[in-house]
Amino acid sequence: MSSTTFEAAVSAALSEESRRRGKRLGKALIWATAAIAVLWFTGAQIGMSPLALVKGIPFMADFFSRMFPPDLDHLPLLGDATLETVQIAVWGTLIAILLSIPLALLGAKNTTPHPIVFHVTRLFLNALRAINELVFALIFVSAVGLGPFAGVLAIALHATGMLAKFCAEEVEGVDRGPIEAMQATGANRLQVILFGIVPQVIPAFISYSIYRFDVSIRAATILGLVGAGGLGFSLIKTMKLFKYHETATCILVIFIIVLISDWVCAKVRARII
Amino acid sequence: MNVNAPVAEVQTAVKPMISIRGLSKTYTGGVRALNDISMDVPPGEFLVILGPSGAGKSTLLRCINRLVDPSAGQVFHNGTEITGHRRDLRAIRRQFGMVFQQFNLVKRLSVLTNVLAGRLAYRSMWRSLFYSFPEADKRIAIECLARVNMEQKAFQRADTLSGGEQQRVAIARALAQQPMVILADEPVASLDPKIARQVLGYLREAAQELGITVLCNLHQVDYAREFAERVVGMSRGSVVFDGLTSQLTEDILHRIYYREPGEAEKEEA
Repeated sequence: MSSTTFEAAVSAALSEESRRRGKRLGKALIWATAAIAVLWFTGAQIGMSPLALVKGIPFMADFFSRMFPPDLDHLPLLGDATLETVQIAVWGTLIAILLSIPLALLGAKNTTPHPIVFHVTRLFLNALRAINELVFALIFVSAVGLGPFAGVLAIALHATGMLAKFCAEEVEGVDRGPIEAMQATGANRLQVILFGIVPQVIPAFISYSIYRFDVSIRAATILGLVGAGGLGFSLIKTMKLFKYHETATCILVIFIIVLISDWVCAKVRARII
Repeated sequence: MNVNAPVAEVQTAVKPMISIRGLSKTYTGGVRALNDISMDVPPGEFLVILGPSGAGKSTLLRCINRLVDPSAGQVFHNGTEITGHRRDLRAIRRQFGMVFQQFNLVKRLSVLTNVLAGRLAYRSMWRSLFYSFPEADKRIAIECLARVNMEQKAFQRADTLSGGEQQRVAIARALAQQPMVILADEPVASLDPKIARQVLGYLREAAQELGITVLCNLHQVDYAREFAERVVGMSRGSVVFDGLTSQLTEDILHRIYYREPGEAEKEEA
């Protein structure tokens, strides 16, 4: 390339760069303006007001002062409820893991037996995720009665919706190469899935499952609000009886469980992945 | 074009651009990759380091820009020792552009942004936070792209390019660093022979024009014969040959690749 054509090519590219940057900047400005307008409007609609928060500080302080110090004599009474909370989370997550494996394969474009199965599965998973654990718990309390079993079912269904969707997306994103290689060996569809796809998604699936257990623990601590077992029942009971020092103890125990589960999950994750 | 003027124009005293003395590397786990390597590379030379896979070529290049820390020995750059300098590590690395076998472009970024990344070591963290570069850097980056005839594709995403094009962009990224040395680690190992020659041609031409010293790892004898001025042959972590390309005899190739004379041609074919 002669030096004049070189210079011409360079300055052409430079001006193209500034043209593109201008266009990008313009677009960004338009979108940013629109986004700010919408956010401002919705903020006003739902009554977002920093002033109200500031004015509320004394009331919050009053509430907390009534809770402090936590009544540690109440602690032994929470032992059973704490154990129950963890048990609900373990069972709920375990059922969700088992259910989500087949559902993920049915609900992934590249492994589903038929497009109709794919759409029905995704619709079902969306429904599971759309319904909150508390709502599920209400339904199951009326179906199987008050107690932790309703909580287990509630967590299992909602968690299945999340785990299966995440895992399906992971399945859709796998590397095509190994799949082709398995197909080339003459393996059937299920064999291709088992040998070409499953090994690729296992690390992500384990990671999601561990995260989901963490979420389940937190969900299990409030299921008692609707009578589905665990610490939530003690929480709501003490609050309704205005025994705020005991409420504080419940919150403290929930906090400690979440801390421990977070720590355990981090350890397990580091060990497996 | 002055922006890309050779940094190493003064070649009066033939002070080596790179001197390596007694360099050894043992990886944790006991693998001895480099065994007492010593060599000098004069400024502006296109040096090919030839050897089979596992000979320690990659480790040698990475010990120079310290992507790998050597276990023993020293590397001098322009007469200054650069091993053991923890503090100026990034300033040292800036002097050495690197080209990789797998190109290592950031696939989701545009070609131009990939090349602009070569300017990062010159710029502040605050500016980089907004992915913003000064006009001068853009000019440098586009000039480097034009050197490898890739300025037409500056605004495409890097993953839309073919392998040969990606490696040309990677060379442009190394050039944008305005380095004194380019370390090319098997730059054409994943390209077909025609494209490989083209890419090596771009690398040699740009280096010659800008006075950049090149250390290029290769495992193909015919490319070494075609492009190198001087060849260093490595085998099992040691230098077994150091001389002009014309001195590469069958006997020496046998020592590098530890195989029977005559077999070399068969494997190349």
